[in-house]
Amino acid sequence: MATSVSSSLPTTHSVTPASQAELVAEVRAAYDASTPIYPLGGGASLDYGLPAKQPGLGMELTGLQRVVDFPARDLTVTVEAGITMQALTDTLRVEGLRLPVDVPQAAQATLGGVIATAWSGPRRFGYGAIRDFVIGIIAVDGRGEVFHGGGRVVKNVAGYDFCKLLTGSLGTLGIIAQVTLKLRPLAEATQICVVPLAELASMDGLLDWLATSDVTPSAVEVFSGPLWREQLGHAPLAAALLLEGTTSEVTWMARTCAEELRKLASGSMRLIPSDDVSNDWQAFLEFPAAEAALSLKATMKPSCVARFLHGVSEVEPAASIQAHAASGIVYVKFPQFPPGGLSRAVVGNLRPLANECGGHLVVLSNPSGQEMTPQSVWGSLGGQLAVMQQVKQQFDPRNLLNPGRFVY
Amino acid sequence: MSVAITPALVNRLHQAIGSENVLTAHSELIVFECDGFTIEKNCPDVVVFPQTAAQVSAVVKLCNEFDVPFLPRGAGTSLAGGCLPVGGGVMIVLTRMREILEINLRDRYAVVEPGVVNVWLTNALKGTGFHYAPDPSSQGACTIGGNVATNSGGPHTLKYGVTVNHVLGVEAVLADGRIVEFGGPSEDAPGLDLVGALVGSEGTLAIVTKVWCRLTRNPQGVRTMLGIFDSVDDATTTISEIIGAGIVPAALEMMDQGIVQAVEEAFHFGFPLDAEAVLLIEVDGLEAGLDLQRERIVELCKQCGAREVRLAADAKERQKLWKCRKQAFGAIGRLSPSYCTQDGVVPRTQLPHILRRIRAICAAHDVRVVNVFHAGDGNIHPIILFDERDAAQIKRVLAASSEILDECLACGGSVTGEHGIGVEKIAFMRKMFTPSDLAAMERLRAAFNPHNRLSPDKLLPTAGACGHEVKKPMRRAAV
Repeated sequence: MATSVSSSLPTTHSVTPASQAELVAEVRAAYDASTPIYPLGGGASLDYGLPAKQPGLGMELTGLQRVVDFPARDLTVTVEAGITMQALTDTLRVEGLRLPVDVPQAAQATLGGVIATAWSGPRRFGYGAIRDFVIGIIAVDGRGEVFHGGGRVVKNVAGYDFCKLLTGSLGTLGIIAQVTLKLRPLAEATQICVVPLAELASMDGLLDWLATSDVTPSAVEVFSGPLWREQLGHAPLAAALLLEGTTSEVTWMARTCAEELRKLASGSMRLIPSDDVSNDWQAFLEFPAAEAALSLKATMKPSCVARFLHGVSEVEPAASIQAHAASGIVYVKFPQFPPGGLSRAVVGNLRPLANECGGHLVVLSNPSGQEMTPQSVWGSLGGQLAVMQQVKQQFDPRNLLNPGRFVY
Repeated sequence: MSVAITPALVNRLHQAIGSENVLTAHSELIVFECDGFTIEKNCPDVVVFPQTAAQVSAVVKLCNEFDVPFLPRGAGTSLAGGCLPVGGGVMIVLTRMREILEINLRDRYAVVEPGVVNVWLTNALKGTGFHYAPDPSSQGACTIGGNVATNSGGPHTLKYGVTVNHVLGVEAVLADGRIVEFGGPSEDAPGLDLVGALVGSEGTLAIVTKVWCRLTRNPQGVRTMLGIFDSVDDATTTISEIIGAGIVPAALEMMDQGIVQAVEEAFHFGFPLDAEAVLLIEVDGLEAGLDLQRERIVELCKQCGAREVRLAADAKERQKLWKCRKQAFGAIGRLSPSYCTQDGVVPRTQLPHILRRIRAICAAHDVRVVNVFHAGDGNIHPIILFDERDAAQIKRVLAASSEILDECLACGGSVTGEHGIGVEKIAFMRKMFTPSDLAAMERLRAAFNPHNRLSPDKLLPTAGACGHEVKKPMRRAAV
């Protein structure tokens, strides 16, 4: 039953449980035999995390993909975690709703994988991250015990918030089986305003403007580098503002952007009308998954993005970049593995810079596999790490769930 | 004294944080015997007022050394007994850690100490174009540390989210006295989202000593409406219709006739006294879209049978409307000597059903009920009126409250939307969660708080204390 998604993991075989009960039975059997388990969604993020070393069982979640309950008028949905993001989007669209979290490879990526990796796309600036939309969760811990947190209502403070605890836990505390999401209505109109910029200082100016303008973009993407040649034209970098709302709101925002940003723009601004948005927008969604010799994700105070981008250009002038700039999140793609290796480019240079900028830096993908250590991939977590280890010990005492791949 | 507080411990506390910051006289401790949940009272044995995280840490280490329970407290406005010192011990009151340490508009965050009152931050941000979104009705008194503990909501959380959606990071003193930062000014810190786990943990996992709060840009415009209905059914159907139509107002609150009458008597706003229910509806955002949103809402209200929809004429009238809503609980004293309120949640389409059931349940138990609540979130607050001198009536009030919460669960809802479990609702945890859910919660607590000295007997039913038995209904403050 093994499929190709697990090929980069040391799985001896794979199983695809078709129900929560089957999932529990598989995990219990693995627990009894102390067999490591690699939870698998669509395989879109297998590069993320440290390389797995221990042979183990591939636990494919794609057999769990039912829509359990979709009370559209409550603006919530309950689905099994193996549903693909595309299937979820299509289901919700029928009722005029959406989860405003965009991911690359949506046809492949599963909701469970997106939650386990805490993947949040560009729209997080306008709507929040994936953690803000998960209101109920069911998971199976490292012993095969089912536990749930939250519920099916949008406001609920009963008990500890397992929705948050499991979001971003990389499948190391529990295998996510079922999720309840809070939803938003689809926007009536969408446009992208693309602003070519001559230099980093102009980008900083744009972020300054954002703190005072009445324009409320859902996303503020800044991009530069060879992978963006087609979109950039002659500009060294550019910003794309995603404008969403009612037709009159979007019209007003587009006009206001044109007026207020004219001085910052290095050339003529481009307004991509609603009908064309999906294709152009797709480039912004897919970039983080684009192949590269090294992919990094840095987080920082938004006011430091210009400084960080400058630092990147010093380490690798041919790096390509996409920043959710207003949220202080930067994706960096290296065309070649840095000559000085991770220890120089990441540990010695860009991570300290991200730290100085009030943030962090993690390695998203490193196909070379060189120098992948907890320290080089995740950085130092300080005093938090001991607490995380204690939590891990409680939920997965035999360290069977995705062993050796996360921070502990 | 309920635990062994020795003179040696008191002495060491004096040395650690100064004798002026330590209370031990019963007459001074009695102020701290309960929070807004006044049913259950117990004096702490010692109250300390640390001024720094290092002092909190020193106190916590001493409590461990002397094997004494301890717990944090903010302003004590919580409504479920979250800061009741069950079993006594040392209470760590954080109201002297009251500095706003940083406001960074460009990066949209503020750093505050836990004792900062919610509205102080709001006031400090006036004129900047930014605000801190969570706005519990008690915001004039409650502290941000307390908001973090209970994951507080408020009327505007419908659109903007609750406290957990607005906390980027915390510094906390762990149960063994270590001081650790979780998260910080930037998003997506690597590792587990322990900020998310700490917010709403009701002080049972760690003591928060610093908070990175997300700041939100003020909307360009706002429209506030008052929908007036001749029947509660029509009003609740309207709520369902507005949400079902995909409109997410900034706030959507309901008050029924009983509460409107009390509020009108207190504040003289001009509410119609003969209406069965009013909806307070606010939309905000770009001016370019607001009138259209308002029109759609007015249309939906009319379709559902609204008698009239009034628009707040100006900022002053809007403020007065919100004052009426937020201080509605203060007006209840006009209706009855005592009252008890609940904090259930139902899916929004179930609002007409649950309001009908509340009426029927209260009629069956022969008790009077009024309603004022966060309708858009499905978060109900039925207020049952009674006279606490009447023992038979008290029994009926308790039975009705419990039945209402059971009905919320039957609808697929929750027994608490924003007040928390504390000690009040421990008995409901077994109804909401399976034994293995509760075991997982025990494990999370054990990871943070292995000796269970930090705020014991809260939130989770334990083998020894099988849930809290409520003997009297509760009087309540603002919700």
